[in-house]
Amino acid sequence: MKLKKVVSAAGLTALLAASLLTGCSQPDESDNSSKTVITLSGWGGNPVEKKLLEEVLDDFEKSHPNIDVRFNQISDQYMDVLKTRLIGGTAADVFYLDAFEAPGLIETGAIEPLDKYVTRDFDVDDFEKPMLDAFKDKGKTYGFPKDYSTLALFYNKKMFREAGIDGPPKTWEELEQDAKKLTKGKKVYGYGVMPQIERLYYMAQSQGGQVITNDRATFAEDRVARALQPILDMHLKDKTAAQASEVGSGSGGEMFGQGRAAMVMEGNWNIPFMEDTFPKIDYGTAELPTVNGKKGTMSFTVGYAMNAESKHKKASWELIKYLTGKEGMKTWTSKGFALPTRKSVAAELGYDKDPLRGPLVKGAKYATVWQDGPMLPIVMNNFNNQFLSAYLGERPLKEALKDAQRQANKEIKVAE
Amino acid sequence: MAKSSFSKKSRTEAGQGYLFMAPVLIILGIFVIAPILCAIYLSFHKVELLGGYNLEFRGLDNFMKITFDDRAHIALKNTVIYVVIVVPLQTLLALVLAASLNAGMKGEKFFRIVYFLPTLTSSAVLTLIFMWMYNQNGLINHILDTLHLPTYNWIGDPSVALLAIMIMNIWATAPFFMVIYLAALQDIPDSHYEAAELDGATGLQKFWHITVPNLRPVTSFVVIMGLIGTFQLFDQSYIFSGGSGGPNNSTLTVVLLIYQYAFKSLGTMGYATALAFLLAIIILVATLLQRKFSKEESLY
Repeated sequence: MKLKKVVSAAGLTALLAASLLTGCSQPDESDNSSKTVITLSGWGGNPVEKKLLEEVLDDFEKSHPNIDVRFNQISDQYMDVLKTRLIGGTAADVFYLDAFEAPGLIETGAIEPLDKYVTRDFDVDDFEKPMLDAFKDKGKTYGFPKDYSTLALFYNKKMFREAGIDGPPKTWEELEQDAKKLTKGKKVYGYGVMPQIERLYYMAQSQGGQVITNDRATFAEDRVARALQPILDMHLKDKTAAQASEVGSGSGGEMFGQGRAAMVMEGNWNIPFMEDTFPKIDYGTAELPTVNGKKGTMSFTVGYAMNAESKHKKASWELIKYLTGKEGMKTWTSKGFALPTRKSVAAELGYDKDPLRGPLVKGAKYATVWQDGPMLPIVMNNFNNQFLSAYLGERPLKEALKDAQRQANKEIKVAE
Repeated sequence: MAKSSFSKKSRTEAGQGYLFMAPVLIILGIFVIAPILCAIYLSFHKVELLGGYNLEFRGLDNFMKITFDDRAHIALKNTVIYVVIVVPLQTLLALVLAASLNAGMKGEKFFRIVYFLPTLTSSAVLTLIFMWMYNQNGLINHILDTLHLPTYNWIGDPSVALLAIMIMNIWATAPFFMVIYLAALQDIPDSHYEAAELDGATGLQKFWHITVPNLRPVTSFVVIMGLIGTFQLFDQSYIFSGGSGGPNNSTLTVVLLIYQYAFKSLGTMGYATALAFLLAIIILVATLLQRKFSKEESLY
């Protein structure tokens, strides 16, 4: 009797356990053909961009019949998902990598150095040097930039005409003067500002101060504070600058499109955005006004990188080579959603002569690339938090910067 | 002899019991107990997950780091302020709502459903809707403006951003506890109220001297659940600030900070687990204190 009970109990348990485990086995994705399947991860972008990428990938598959590329889209929290997948060993073979995040990831060894694959016909010297350098560490290249954008001044031509201003401001002083004429109370601001380091980095360093030195935050100094003070003055004293959330807009581009700011500093992405969302606004672009007589702007770039644990490194390189090669890049940037990082492609597509994109292309020469080592994400977070409180007038800028620097360096210590 | 056979029998019975419980024990062990032990283990190490798994024993280093990490202090302060304000208010609101629904009005069922709706909606959706209402030109500022009250930049101004989340959460969580109160209210015997009426008690007196004391065990439950829930505030402040805890760290909560250290920055997983461990201890202490101050068992 007793034995029977025990046996039946054991049997029941085994049954339950077995039924639980059956869900875990996965059908193996085996290759019947000799085709190599590689995956590519990236964020989505708008439908037209997606179609362009599909086009480029189709072209690639046609010219490389033994490689099959699968595009895997990560729509939100791209870096978090990518890092988690890299840890779990399920990341794609090739993925988009923002230059800003590159150093941190390179440091861990999760990214394959690409130097050994590069051949002469790939023509590395054709790339814009600052964008290429953003993916380099200790002389090795870990990615090739697929496209970039700088910042340019977008200005509302109708508002400029109404205010009796001939053209876009050339210097920061002119911008301040024009903003006064363009501001209409709390309805329309002359300058739609983003009080964030990623947009102001070039300005912060315009007087010789350094935001980061040897992986430590060093921005709490007079030269940085002096360089950024004009932004605060425009918001607090002149009341001619505001950020998007102050007027109820979601972004700088939206603020500009809704006619709540006469000038904003945005990148190439704003051109298709304006076309789609606010086609009636008559606007122009210009190079950013000079600060202390010096030209400056930011440059944001994204590259293709290879997973160091990829099982198909040769095929992955073929893909990167094609996507960042002259042919692939030409198709990818042909519609103007992104600017080509290869000089030859840029010359062929003629964006430097485009009335709207010309100022963006001109900025590439003197732009500060948004990448400054592995600690930049920490520095950015702390800087932005404290800079905002100075921007809102809660405390003097110098004090806010000091606090931000102390906090950032503590956090860097925590991370080490 | 008899004694030993008895103990043998009880032993086999216990064995059978465990055998029957085995599926649950295994699942709990793998998915609940093991992760907790693993987290405690990790909190004493520097954990490098990317580019080759790497564990380095650091002793109490991670816990020491908490003492000089300003953002951890800010997160803890924000969370405590949030708990201290939200828990009493949502408990009170839940009680008032439940009492009003129990008063025997017409259309009680309809209101019961209407009140409960916010709880049924996903918190992510709620947050997004509230963010539109909190917009500078949104509904809430519009109402404040028509009433000639000052308007706020709810999302961008550090001094009100946390308050905005509090209002939203009290509104969304109170109905859930209201339902629990409602069930408890219907359990209070009518004879108590009748006796009070004979003594000439007013409605308010009946509420304070009969309803509230009779609800004490439920209140205790509601407060403990509220404490645990509010200490773990994450999704609302994550969506509100786009994951940064801004503006100016004003919506940074402990769980959001843990998330940032675990998944945003590299190589700080060990520190994140130390913070999580600390939060668990804080919640435990808060719950124990709450139990000490309310003598709930006396009623059952």
